Amino acid sequence: MIQVEHLTKKFGRIVAVDDISFKVKKGEIIGFLGPNGAGKSTTMNILTGCISATDGKAMIAGIDILDDPAKVKKMIGYLPEHPPLYGEMTSREYLRTVCDLKNIPRSERKEEIPLVMERVGITDISGRLIRNLSKGYRQRVGLAQAMIGRPPIMILDEPTVGLDPGQIIGIRNLINDLGKDHTVIISSHILSEVQAVCERVIIIAEGKIIASDTPENLSRHLFGTNRLFVSVAAEREAVEETVKSIPDIVEYQIEEGEEAGAVTVKMKAAENADIRKAVFSAFAAANQPLLMMRPIDMSLEEIFLDLTRAEVEI
Amino acid sequence: MIAVYKKELKSYFFTPGAYIFMGAFLFIAGLLFSLQNIFTGSSDYASFLSSLIFIFLLVVPILTMRLFTEEKRQKTDVLLLSSPVSISGIVLGKYLAAVTVFLLTLIITILYPTFLGFHGRMDWAQIWGTYIGFFFLGSAFIAIGTFLSEVAESQTSAAILTFCGLLASWVIDYIRSFVPMSSMAGAIFILILAGVAIAVFQSKAQDWRISALAAIVAVVVVLILFIITPDVLYGLISKFIAWFSLTSRFQRFSMGILKLDAVVYYLSFSAFFLYVTGNRIENRRWS
Repeated sequence: MIQVEHLTKKFGRIVAVDDISFKVKKGEIIGFLGPNGAGKSTTMNILTGCISATDGKAMIAGIDILDDPAKVKKMIGYLPEHPPLYGEMTSREYLRTVCDLKNIPRSERKEEIPLVMERVGITDISGRLIRNLSKGYRQRVGLAQAMIGRPPIMILDEPTVGLDPGQIIGIRNLINDLGKDHTVIISSHILSEVQAVCERVIIIAEGKIIASDTPENLSRHLFGTNRLFVSVAAEREAVEETVKSIPDIVEYQIEEGEEAGAVTVKMKAAENADIRKAVFSAFAAANQPLLMMRPIDMSLEEIFLDLTRAEVEI
Repeated sequence: MIAVYKKELKSYFFTPGAYIFMGAFLFIAGLLFSLQNIFTGSSDYASFLSSLIFIFLLVVPILTMRLFTEEKRQKTDVLLLSSPVSISGIVLGKYLAAVTVFLLTLIITILYPTFLGFHGRMDWAQIWGTYIGFFFLGSAFIAIGTFLSEVAESQTSAAILTFCGLLASWVIDYIRSFVPMSSMAGAIFILILAGVAIAVFQSKAQDWRISALAAIVAVVVVLILFIITPDVLYGLISKFIAWFSLTSRFQRFSMGILKLDAVVYYLSFSAFFLYVTGNRIENRRWS
């Protein structure tokens, strides 16, 4: 559905996107993951035809964007980083204007607009001026704009940024729902977010793709089971002794826990070692109840360090 | 294009933009009309319209300042660029919306000569001629404003730039009478123009051989012209400036003469500025 080959974009001397290639199949939900300024938005802007690439090709459904921009643009619904809203219009007027811009026949509009408004949940506020809406509603009006005309491809740039947790879940459900009959690309700088909705994750840093895999594989590769965080209801010294008795642990750090009478331990084992069972048995044998045990997530920065290092080693 | 046009017209009437423009235009026009025609009992409406053209300096910036700057501020330019509308459609839609607001305002002023018509005989042919000229002149000014609103970053700077731009096209006629007329001055002027053109070419293409060749050709051609027919170069600067004088072409309209060349001039002037506007948007996509 989407095919990108050796795409490069330079802003003066700055290389924003550096020779990236990827493919997206029909019906896939893809996540672009990367820190701010990695080139996610630039790539999306190129795919939607807002800016042109310095070099390389971007094909949508087999058509080069430069060959037939109008046709390609009609197939894409785009929610940019800042939702492009006209503050002086109400949501309904705004969506009508979007219908005009996307050339949607009058007969379809009557059904289309209420349907989309219902789906993103803005029916109640459709008569209010967009400028008076809260951030969450604006985001949803922006999303409605992208959905108008049922484009087969949806490109959503940081769709949940600035929303409260309830709204984030709402938008995620909506994206999952969209994924059933659309090809979706979303971008984010939050790992858990892409994990929650995407079938495949493309990690971008400094304009380059550094990894592309399913979230499961990435987590296996990234998180491993060698770093654990446990909370134990026991004395500090006793805990330290137990930890020392577990083989494979190379590093540990014990701190007073937030709960009274409990301590927390961060421990690290050798690469690729699964110490979860060993940890459980050791504490159980010492009669020190485990209150909690979870793997330690890497922060995005650590992931990038890790991945870029891996690349160098290969 | 029609979608952008409709959207832009909506924006004009949903925001104070169109009302401020109409209010300012009709207030100034009404004031001048009362002073020139009502109080003096004059039925010379064409000369009223001619004296009204200074109004563009004040009201065109109000009309055009928000066209592109507001899209940039609200980041809605992305919506236009990512929707299946061509860039020329965007520019033309916006320009025509501004022209429509101007035309509507102009239609309201037709009340004035109608009132005068109750009390005296009016030269309607002359009035229509002046109106047509007035409309095309205004449209050309709006094209300049459209372009400058694309250049500027904020509404305020767009308004100030447009005011200055229109003022420049306004004083051009006065400047004309002060420039040197001799053939020598004409020759030097051509060389300066050629120099600027070559410098621009050199900075874009970076090919000094072609630039040097062009420079030599320019000098030789000017020298030959200067030696053989110096008359061609006489008063050249003044003629050159006259190309850019919008207001001088208006005079014939107010005499009731409908000259096609003036209409074509205004239309091509507008088309040029709209083309440059579209070009700038296109260039920004690539840079």
